[in-house]
Amino acid sequence: MASTDATLPIPTRDDAPAAHRARTGRGWLRRHGRAAAALVLLAVTLFPFLWLVQLAFKPAADLFEDSLWFIPTLDGFRALLQGSFPRSFLNSLAVSTLSTAMSLAIGVPAAYALTRWQFPRRRHVALWILVTRMAPPIAFTIPFFLAYRWLGLQDTIFGLALVYLTFNLAIVIWLMQTFFEAVPTALEEAAYIDGCGVWQAFWRITLPLAAPGVAATAVLCFIFAWNDFFYALILTRTQAVTAPVAIVNFLQYEGWEWPKIAAGGTLVMFPVVVFTVLVRKYLVHGLTAGGVKD
Amino acid sequence: MGAANTLAAPATPGLRAAHASRGWQAARRRAFALGLAPALIVLLAITLVPAAALVVASLTPLSLTDPAGTFHFRDPLGNYRHLLEDTRFLGSIATQLKLSAASVALQLAVGLGVALLLNRPSRVLGAVRGAFLIPMVLPPIVVALIWKILFTPDVSPLHRALEAAGWPVRSLIANPDTALWAIAFAETWQWFPFTMLMVLAALQMMPADPLEAASLDGANRWQLFRYIVFPHIRPVLVVCGLFRLIDSFKAFPLIFVLTEGGPGTVTEVTNYYGFIQAFNFSYWGYGSAIATVILAGVFGLSWLVGRLGWNDHGKH
Repeated sequence: MASTDATLPIPTRDDAPAAHRARTGRGWLRRHGRAAAALVLLAVTLFPFLWLVQLAFKPAADLFEDSLWFIPTLDGFRALLQGSFPRSFLNSLAVSTLSTAMSLAIGVPAAYALTRWQFPRRRHVALWILVTRMAPPIAFTIPFFLAYRWLGLQDTIFGLALVYLTFNLAIVIWLMQTFFEAVPTALEEAAYIDGCGVWQAFWRITLPLAAPGVAATAVLCFIFAWNDFFYALILTRTQAVTAPVAIVNFLQYEGWEWPKIAAGGTLVMFPVVVFTVLVRKYLVHGLTAGGVKD
Repeated sequence: MGAANTLAAPATPGLRAAHASRGWQAARRRAFALGLAPALIVLLAITLVPAAALVVASLTPLSLTDPAGTFHFRDPLGNYRHLLEDTRFLGSIATQLKLSAASVALQLAVGLGVALLLNRPSRVLGAVRGAFLIPMVLPPIVVALIWKILFTPDVSPLHRALEAAGWPVRSLIANPDTALWAIAFAETWQWFPFTMLMVLAALQMMPADPLEAASLDGANRWQLFRYIVFPHIRPVLVVCGLFRLIDSFKAFPLIFVLTEGGPGTVTEVTNYYGFIQAFNFSYWGYGSAIATVILAGVFGLSWLVGRLGWNDHGKH
């Protein structure tokens, strides 16, 4: 943070005493103006988001009133519980967890190998893995849709979790590389001398040291899988419908029940917002993966 | 793996060590290859194979009505020829370009502005920085829902406020003149934090000396920004722009929920048109051809990112 002290300094050349006296009136603005402006901007930015949340707690009778003075009710959430929403919420949880587990199981060893093993085509392989993240979902959905019709994986939780590997595996491999690079190789070499094999040393020494990284990566994978809408819309029908698809179904078939829809939206974003607060620092890493040179 | 060390046991100790080390290296390589293989095989199966299948399907008139009968290669380039004459497809590309240009430009401008505002070490600003990330991490479908509410006159506080002020406005997403702008606006709201984040990261890595030297030499704030700060963050802005451009081709939930491509086809982007052809009309072959075109565009841009983002980064 020290270097930021000097970025964009306010020019302080006019330091004559007279000018200084003239400025003290505006002292507060000078000292806190930036923070005040940032807070106002933040309020404006988050207003749409907060409006959704308050709508979820609004009684249906007050729906068309602007007043924020209403007695909050849980009717919207209660209405959700009676329908098929709880099931789609559980589906979302199951798909995201399964996809996260699979991408970690396959991706973490691969990331470790890519970090420690300098083979000739390493750079190309790493680039290919990153590019898979860029590919538009529609390019994968058509072949997956056709293949799943044959394989009977349509509308199944496993099928959907498998599709999510197309983006999550790339995230795991890319992110975990930076975490493994931070673990000094000297520790592993000491383990080799003691007779550990490569994967034994990895399991006993490197992985525990990179555990916070694994946790952060898992959270990111979970969020990406949780947030998906496009694949779930196309590859599910009734059994494996996820929460985002359920919300769209509300909009299409029960478009007037705003508190219920808003309650659904609030529930769906709740885990994501909580996770964001928990792992903000690592999240920043993941969201900008590949964007900034490591 | 430890066994490799004891396998070779030649006469002299030095030679023995060299042999053991070579054996150890080979064992290490094998172990790494073993760790890497599953990921590469899975990635191959779920990315390259579908991509190849997509291109193959795009060469056939495959459709739901007669999947077996329409899977043939009698006219492999038929779909692509048809694409060139399909005004709806060509229109969707124009719409896509308009939407991408507008939303990416807005995101860069807003993201840069907010980053410059927040780039001060302070407790308040630090907390604010985190809160600004919320739009970006929200599930896209919730973002779409939020804007559906704000653009629906019945429940939108903005519409009601305007009406109370004697200034009733038609819903922006129902009006063909403004629908695309409304979507670009919502997309900007969702994604400007990405640019903000990247620019802030770049600003924090900026050396302080040139700024100090320039301000001692009498440069004003604008000059400091124009000649020192901006050149430093320009590469990051370029990479951000390309990343967001690539992602903007995938825009789906916003359009699906807010306008469904309408009114008419004014917000029907290429991705959405491909979706309609493949999954509403079940023209899988034709949809595949559209998806192939998008895929080619995305790869072209990714290649650009690779060139600009990785090779030139830091040279400026």
